Amino acid sequence: MTLENHRCAHDATDDPPSNAPGPRATARTADQARVRRLLLWYPRAWRSRYGDEFAELLIDERAEVGPSWRCTVNIAATGLRARLAAAGLADHPVDPEAAARAGLATMAICAAATVLSGAVMWSQLAIGLQWSVPAASRIPQAIDFMSGALLALAVAAFLAGAPAAWAAVTAACRGQARGLRRPAIMFAGGAFVLVVGGRHFARAWPGTGGHLLGHQSLIPGRIAAFGWAATMWITSYWAHPKALAAFPSSELAWMVLSPAATGCLVIGIAQVLRRIQMSRRMLRYEMCVGHLVLAGLVAFFCGALCWLSLSGGQPGRLFLAGTIDRAGFAVLAVSVVAAAAAVRRSRAAARYPPTQLHGG
Amino acid sequence: MTPAGGSSADRRTRQSRAVADHAGALETLGRSSGPASLILSSLADGAKHGYALTKDIESFSGVRLAPGTLYEALSRLEAHGMIEALESHDRRRPYRLTATGAAALSTYLEVQRKVAEVGLHRLAGSWAQT
Repeated sequence: MTLENHRCAHDATDDPPSNAPGPRATARTADQARVRRLLLWYPRAWRSRYGDEFAELLIDERAEVGPSWRCTVNIAATGLRARLAAAGLADHPVDPEAAARAGLATMAICAAATVLSGAVMWSQLAIGLQWSVPAASRIPQAIDFMSGALLALAVAAFLAGAPAAWAAVTAACRGQARGLRRPAIMFAGGAFVLVVGGRHFARAWPGTGGHLLGHQSLIPGRIAAFGWAATMWITSYWAHPKALAAFPSSELAWMVLSPAATGCLVIGIAQVLRRIQMSRRMLRYEMCVGHLVLAGLVAFFCGALCWLSLSGGQPGRLFLAGTIDRAGFAVLAVSVVAAAAAVRRSRAAARYPPTQLHGG
Repeated sequence: MTPAGGSSADRRTRQSRAVADHAGALETLGRSSGPASLILSSLADGAKHGYALTKDIESFSGVRLAPGTLYEALSRLEAHGMIEALESHDRRRPYRLTATGAAALSTYLEVQRKVAEVGLHRLAGSWAQT
């Protein structure tokens, strides 16, 4: 049946009567509200492109067959797939360029999650190395591996961040930084609080009071102290309120403030990467750096895996992996998988024809 | 050394590879390749909007596509240039087949016809007496 035929046969066959007055019109209004809620499963870009026509289809469907849980599940599943595509984690995005940038943002979030959970492990191990010699000689090697991976991630962050920051500054000079202002403020604010607070609380690092056994491994003590202070809030003390109550109030305040600052920093970076306009050349460059980030994540994961596999046989508690470390390892695993998916999908999205991407 | 054009066996191999490549245009749509072939078949006789597509596909295939599945396939087909959206007079937006979509559908259906012919022929030969 063609569109013309379909329109002629509107009342008689295919279309449910959509503009009928009375109870049907009331039911349609109620349906519209439900349909609007269902549309929230889809990302904003999808809704702005297909939202109106999809809502009409849903209203017609409901008028004919009534509401059904199967339809709701179908919408939820396809909506989540569209969201994954919009985040650069699945195929066929509505806006390939936005999906490629979203993939980079996902990479940044994965790298941040790895650095956070990694800093907890790494700084704790650094404390252990300050106080004692591990029984297994491979533990320092595993820690060296983790140190090298963190260094690679820091280099990759600089390589990726410098052109993105330059593009953001250029956009600001051209007066096109309206959508970038809030994430830039979040980034700057979060970074400021973390640096100032981290440096202040790093003085209380337990590693500085021990014997200087730094020659056992390639760990710069001051950086480990900063990592320990910045991730002080990731602790099992939250499950022991009585012990937590004995902490100085300034440390407790920091343990509340620092995760908020970290969240602002990471969200700010992700939003800048999502909103910044990138040429195809810059996108390709960022994809290359994305591979370096992925390599860093995998290397850290391998180092952490090596340590976890060796820590069981340690006599003391300094090199023993606890619940937080195992949870951190799970975060590392998820981050590696998500980052690999993001790199693959972003590369696919960046290969769309130039008509769908900015030239350059 | 095979002469230009090659033997008939080579030609047949090249033809079937070319057919498979074009048919692959729909296969690249992943999980939407099934719904996509139904949508393209429905649009082959003229433009339709979402609800008309659902009804038409149900009438000729017995399959009722769920709304989410339909629009997932529509968005993929549109991204691959196999269909295009037309101006809409109301909120229902019609879609029509493009030349790329027609070529992809034609090749895909050719392959399906060959598969059906072979299957039916072999069934007739092996299972006719049972």
